[in-house]
Amino acid sequence: MHELSIAMEICRITEEAVGPDRLGDVIEVGLDVGVDADVVIDNLEFCLEALLAGPPFGRGRPVIASRPGDDLRVTYLEVDDADQTN
Amino acid sequence: MPIKRIEVRERVMARNDELAAVVRRTLEEAGVLALNLVSSPGSGKTRLLEQTLADLGDELRMAVVTGDVQTSNDAERLARHTDRLVQAVVTNGACHLDARQVGEAMGALDLNETDLLFIENVGNLVCPASWDLGESEKVVLFSVTEGEDKPVKYPKMFAKASTAVITKTDLLPYVPFDLNRARRFLHQTNPDLRLILVSALGGTGLEHWYDYLRSRVHVVGVERRNRHTA
Repeated sequence: MHELSIAMEICRITEEAVGPDRLGDVIEVGLDVGVDADVVIDNLEFCLEALLAGPPFGRGRPVIASRPGDDLRVTYLEVDDADQTN
Repeated sequence: MPIKRIEVRERVMARNDELAAVVRRTLEEAGVLALNLVSSPGSGKTRLLEQTLADLGDELRMAVVTGDVQTSNDAERLARHTDRLVQAVVTNGACHLDARQVGEAMGALDLNETDLLFIENVGNLVCPASWDLGESEKVVLFSVTEGEDKPVKYPKMFAKASTAVITKTDLLPYVPFDLNRARRFLHQTNPDLRLILVSALGGTGLEHWYDYLRSRVHVVGVERRNRHTA
């Protein structure tokens, strides 16, 4: 059940990294999830898919890598940079 | 479509852990023992606190932050047993307290007039184990009606606790709860765990609980005085 809290914290980290005006440009959120992190990956993925599909996001999707250990980390973000390069 | 990749490498719990460190430092500077009470729902956290506030209210300056998914029922129950402020945190669906909520709730408490802070977490033996609140110790409760295998079913919570309290022991004659098996599971999960058996309704074992509280409050007070004189 705490996967939703974790998903919301991941969204906060994403906002901090890209800024509030570019959340709609986020297309991928990369995560490392340790097998001992007490996180049910399917649940976390479900929560993130729901959050990243709606405003202020819209077209993001989570990419979760299961790792040994108890680490739980946002590893990278991919952002549509079209507006910035025009 | 040009794609920009941003390396982040940030731990998801980093922010909570930073806030927990602030809470812990604040409590240590004030010399306050903070116990994070965790258990499944209905194990008797609120009942034990009611009795503790009633029995030790003249001896220890106690404050309570109590978390619930909905309602402030527990805070209202506890407030009947103390003149001091009981802070209710309604998590609105979240299955655990976090360090930000505890830090904000502590803002309303006069820590210099407090010896012991109880943080009554949301009833749940899974999620609260992952969230550091800045407490001094975790105290895990489970009742004799829940089954003696709780420690092996929820090992992370029991591994992180300093003390286990088996509650509702007045019901032992009526339920198939094997105390020796429970002790074995507790030891298997965390050999250093202190074990206290209580019945808050019947009064049995409460003196052991109170002695534990008194001794820990004393130690935290001594540590604070030593820091100030060092």
